[in-house]
Amino acid sequence: MISLNYRDSRPIYEQIRDGLRKLIVTGALGADEKLPSVRALAAQLAINPNTIQRAYNELEGEGYIYSVPGKGSFAAANAAADSARRAELLVQVRELLSELRYLGVSQRELEALVKEENGHD
Amino acid sequence: MIEVNGLVKRFDGFAALDGAALTVPAGSVYGLVGPNGAGKSTLIRCLTGIFRQDGGTVRVGGEDVWENPALKARIASIPDDWYYFTQSSIRDMMRFYRGFYPSFSMERYEKLREVFQLDERRPIRRLSKGMQKQAAFWLALSCMPDYLVLDEPVDGLDPVMRRQVWSLVLGDVAQRGTTVLVSSHNLRELEDVCDHVGIMDHGKVLLERSLAQLQDNMVKLQVVFPDGMTEVPPELPVLHASRIGRIHTLIMRMGAQEAADLLAPYSPLLVDAVPLTLEEIFIYELGGADYAVKDIVL
Repeated sequence: MISLNYRDSRPIYEQIRDGLRKLIVTGALGADEKLPSVRALAAQLAINPNTIQRAYNELEGEGYIYSVPGKGSFAAANAAADSARRAELLVQVRELLSELRYLGVSQRELEALVKEENGHD
Repeated sequence: MIEVNGLVKRFDGFAALDGAALTVPAGSVYGLVGPNGAGKSTLIRCLTGIFRQDGGTVRVGGEDVWENPALKARIASIPDDWYYFTQSSIRDMMRFYRGFYPSFSMERYEKLREVFQLDERRPIRRLSKGMQKQAAFWLALSCMPDYLVLDEPVDGLDPVMRRQVWSLVLGDVAQRGTTVLVSSHNLRELEDVCDHVGIMDHGKVLLERSLAQLQDNMVKLQVVFPDGMTEVPPELPVLHASRIGRIHTLIMRMGAQEAADLLAPYSPLLVDAVPLTLEEIFIYELGGADYAVKDIVL
């Protein structure tokens, strides 16, 4: 369910964190669904368990998952996490927009793009 | 927990180990890296009680290793030049190991037969090099060790078997809290399996960190300075700098945010932080110690 890309410049724990986050945000892992245990994931991916624990800790800090002592980690249905991620992504969009404007893409083209993307839903 | 302090080992006056010190926390996977001849294998042989050190201490779980059979029964090791008795099969070696390791688990031995699928009745010396290494893992993991010391462990194993072996070892770490010390040159692989790394050179441990610390404390930045600024400002604490066209690549010993703050006053057009791989960290850390790829054309 998580694939590691060894050519990716991101550290392994970030890849695991981002992979799990994507699964949670897209709903592939539903609210209160159990995540694989650190042990199982360590053996499956052949990755150090502490690296996986670090990814889990960060996700817990961000509010995407919660852990129940003795039971494991579960996906959270947390609006706070969503809004944090939303803010993060909006910053990225802002950066992309300014770069596009730099390259001479007009306001109208950008608006058309947004409309077109929204039309998919 | 493995603690090595001021370890000295001399051969005919040559100090293979010259005050080496390292600490492996319990339940961690510690990667020992260093150029050829740095003293990794000598250190490992001191750690497993094969060499007697000339100075310093080697303590595993708080006890000295030398001539301590009770402690050594909890340490399993796969050396780089493993040895089997002539004519012995895996099954013979299993009986031999079982006599030395009270914790030897037949249940695990049977389970691992499914994994390795080796003929346990064939003489081991008639198996291929990679198969002999698999046999070493089969036997070592069946001993249910608290400490696992591996010297170049996955050399000679095929890609599937490498992954299989790491998966078994890391499963053991997660489940039983096994402490693992592994020497290797495959930094790409160590990055996945280790949480601590020690870099050795000239018989000393130059640097010892957790992988998280290493990755957070060194950063590679791609920077484009504004027009008219062609050189990297000399006051910046740069470990290594190179440039292609207008893009400067700077290696700095600090976190990404701190580095970005330092660069902000020069109002660069672009600052892009790229995390370093273990291989790059290895090269830049040892670069200061007169070690780098030399530009020699043959």
